[in-house]
Amino acid sequence: MVGALIKKEIQANVLSFRFVAVAALLLIVVPVTVLVLSTDAAKRVDEFSSRRSEIETYLKSYAHFNRLQNVVKPAQPPLASYALVRGISSDVNFEEFDDDPLPVMFPLLDLTFVVAILLSLAALIFSYDAVCGEKEDGTLKLMLANGLPRAKIILAKIIGGTVTLIVPFLLSLVLGLIVILLNPRITWKGADWTSLAFLLIGAGLYVLFFQVLGVFISVRHHSSSASIMTSLCVWVLFVLVVPNLSPYFAALVSPSPSRIKVSREMNRLTDVERDDLGRRLADEKMRELTRTYPALAENLSQAEAKVRAEKDPAYKIALQARVREVGAAWDEANRIQIAKANALQDNLERQEEAQTKLSGTLSMVSPLADFTYLSSDLTSTGLMNERHFKRLSDIWGRSYGDYRQAKIVSLQKKDPAVDWWNTPVDVSDMSRFVYKEEDLAARLKGTLPAFAVLAGLALAAFWAAYFSFRGYDAR
Amino acid sequence: MVGTIIRKEISANLLSYKFFIVILLTTLLLATSFFVLYKDFKGRQADYELVRPKPGEAIAVLAPNPLSIFAKGLDEAMTRSFEVSPIGLQVRAGQKSGNAVFAFFPAPDFVYIVKVVLSLVALLFGFDQISRERETGVLRLMLSNSVSRAKVLAGKWLGNYLSLAVPFLLVALIGFLLMTLDPQVRFGAAGTGCFLLLLADALLYIALFLSLGILVSALTRRAAASLVVLLLVWAVAVFVLPNLGTLVARQLVDVPSVKALSEKRQQTWTREILLAIVEGRAQGRQAGDVNRKTHLEAINTEFDKLEHDYRLKFDRLVRLSKTINRLSPAASFVYAATELAGTGIGEESRLKDEIIRYKNAVFQEFDQGRKDHAAFAYRYRSAGQVLAQGGMFDLGWLAAFTVVLFGLGFAAFARYDVR
Repeated sequence: MVGALIKKEIQANVLSFRFVAVAALLLIVVPVTVLVLSTDAAKRVDEFSSRRSEIETYLKSYAHFNRLQNVVKPAQPPLASYALVRGISSDVNFEEFDDDPLPVMFPLLDLTFVVAILLSLAALIFSYDAVCGEKEDGTLKLMLANGLPRAKIILAKIIGGTVTLIVPFLLSLVLGLIVILLNPRITWKGADWTSLAFLLIGAGLYVLFFQVLGVFISVRHHSSSASIMTSLCVWVLFVLVVPNLSPYFAALVSPSPSRIKVSREMNRLTDVERDDLGRRLADEKMRELTRTYPALAENLSQAEAKVRAEKDPAYKIALQARVREVGAAWDEANRIQIAKANALQDNLERQEEAQTKLSGTLSMVSPLADFTYLSSDLTSTGLMNERHFKRLSDIWGRSYGDYRQAKIVSLQKKDPAVDWWNTPVDVSDMSRFVYKEEDLAARLKGTLPAFAVLAGLALAAFWAAYFSFRGYDAR
Repeated sequence: MVGTIIRKEISANLLSYKFFIVILLTTLLLATSFFVLYKDFKGRQADYELVRPKPGEAIAVLAPNPLSIFAKGLDEAMTRSFEVSPIGLQVRAGQKSGNAVFAFFPAPDFVYIVKVVLSLVALLFGFDQISRERETGVLRLMLSNSVSRAKVLAGKWLGNYLSLAVPFLLVALIGFLLMTLDPQVRFGAAGTGCFLLLLADALLYIALFLSLGILVSALTRRAAASLVVLLLVWAVAVFVLPNLGTLVARQLVDVPSVKALSEKRQQTWTREILLAIVEGRAQGRQAGDVNRKTHLEAINTEFDKLEHDYRLKFDRLVRLSKTINRLSPAASFVYAATELAGTGIGEESRLKDEIIRYKNAVFQEFDQGRKDHAAFAYRYRSAGQVLAQGGMFDLGWLAAFTVVLFGLGFAAFARYDVR
């Protein structure tokens, strides 16, 4: 019985004008979006590889430990999924003078956006008159007169509507995927396809929710023109307002300290104040040293000292002691000041993290936010990837630290008085930062809450629709 | 006659469920948006008080712009701190970069609400004007009286426009007036003028969508079909076109990414510092007291060149993306509104030019050995300047759009079969 009802819904939908309009729109917008996005993705791959080779050229001629870590900073390579989903990977970068503010004005169009805006709107267009429309036409009375259980009618309406919307969407997506497959510059691996499959499940849940919501609203009304008004207002709230307001509310409830202030303070701690402290500690050490090695009292320039050290072995020992002790003094100053700065930074990060978490939770009331999070996390373009990238960078940062230590030791072995900080080094044996996407399993696990909220919302709306329909006056 | 039709439209609207729910929604949204962005502004203002430069410091920080409550635009980018030191410009960003959720969704400011919600509402007022009245038979009755179709259409348009624009204007003006009560939010005469122009921009934008609604309504026989067409056209105009347009423009203009640029800067630094030290060693100096001056100059020249080059390309991208995006009235509206509020792309790039000029002036003061530096001063463009530099074009574009749509609507209605 349900089968026949679903078939009826699908047939009625397919013949309707709205189906033709929505399908035509999707069949144009999705492939065009994918075409533009994949061209852009290929462009990013090119740019990334040229950036890399430029870094290597620099390292060959100008690597020295004073500035090395600024040149080999870990960088996020473009991902295969950029051809479909962009998440927050856009290049706004307010930390640099040359920022790129365009995405702030108009966010990028990607698959997530198409699903989140167009499909949810289409789902409501398909379902706003599901029940009240049939009442207006008088067919609802006929159907119920045939002794059909109401649960089956409503289930068939939801399933039929969802199927008629998902099918043209999948068709348009297939066109888009053909564009991707034809692009030789973009290669998708198995995990990319699997994550796309899960993303589509998420999209299905998302569309289902709006379909059920539309049916629910339609049950609450007796005229379809009133039903569409309510549907659109609810849609605006859920999709266009709640997610956008949530970070602002979170910032009100859980404020974080001024970034500019903290950053300036940290700079002062590790620069001016560090230098003062370092100089003071070094001077103290020097006073002690001159007591042991009076020869150090005369202040020779580096070149003169070198000449004298070659003639006078005692002076050489004194010189080595000076390098060691002064170095230790500066290390101590660095350690103290960096600890202070880190405490500030940690505090800032903690508060920002709390705020981000709160905004995330608040926004998850909106199915759009849930879908946005799950699609960006599945494709490694969201917050989860930012954390993952930070973890990878930290690991690499530690390995770089070890490498630097070993390299300094070997430099000092050759020449104990070497100024390793400012001497060119050969870094061809240094391990470069390699980005590896987070495991699909881990990504999936991270997106479970979003999946759960979406499913829960759909279920809640279904119960509401069912119970309202049981008491619906079909006359 | 037109007066009677207007009255009829307004009273019909006032009694309808549509009017009730839609006006409730917009009022609620505008009020929430004003409250939230006002609080956000106050927070940023408090931050600014903490970080504002002391006299003599060579730091350029703008106070947050009060009009950003209505059009946030790039205010977050414009109120960063730009610190000039002998080693160049150091940029520090504000709050927004801390909470990544901000990056996911656009700011829910007045401009956003108008762009997205008010346009939808205007369509809802227009979509059934002709087709619904045909379905209910009212149209036949109306036209059987001796009234011209032009008058009917004009009456409908005005009646619906008034029933939408008046509540909207009331809420917006009350919000604005309430904010002027706060002595710390100073709009000034220029700011008030800009806000009024911004309102005019919004009214024009709403008129455009109302005309579009009536046009499609006159082209379709059934109100339901008219609504489907309109919703899809709306989604394309408001979401798809402007967001895709920038991406298309990026494919046509080669602009280096921000990351690439920052890497280039780091590389230049590294090279020059090492060269300075190697040179210094050759002259027998210690690493600490090498002569950095020529190398810092080299770094600065190179940075300026990078910056200049990037600006040129980026401006070309902005121009092209503007041209493409203006296909969508939503983009035209946003461009005009943000520029009027002083938070648009044009204002931001003007600010950057000023900051570069300031940096060069401070560098000269460094050369003269001065420790006290003149403070950075920036004057926003006046409304007249904004209008002259593209604002007028956007407003005119919206007006032309509206007139064309209304004209087409009239043509369609004149031939409309009311049976």
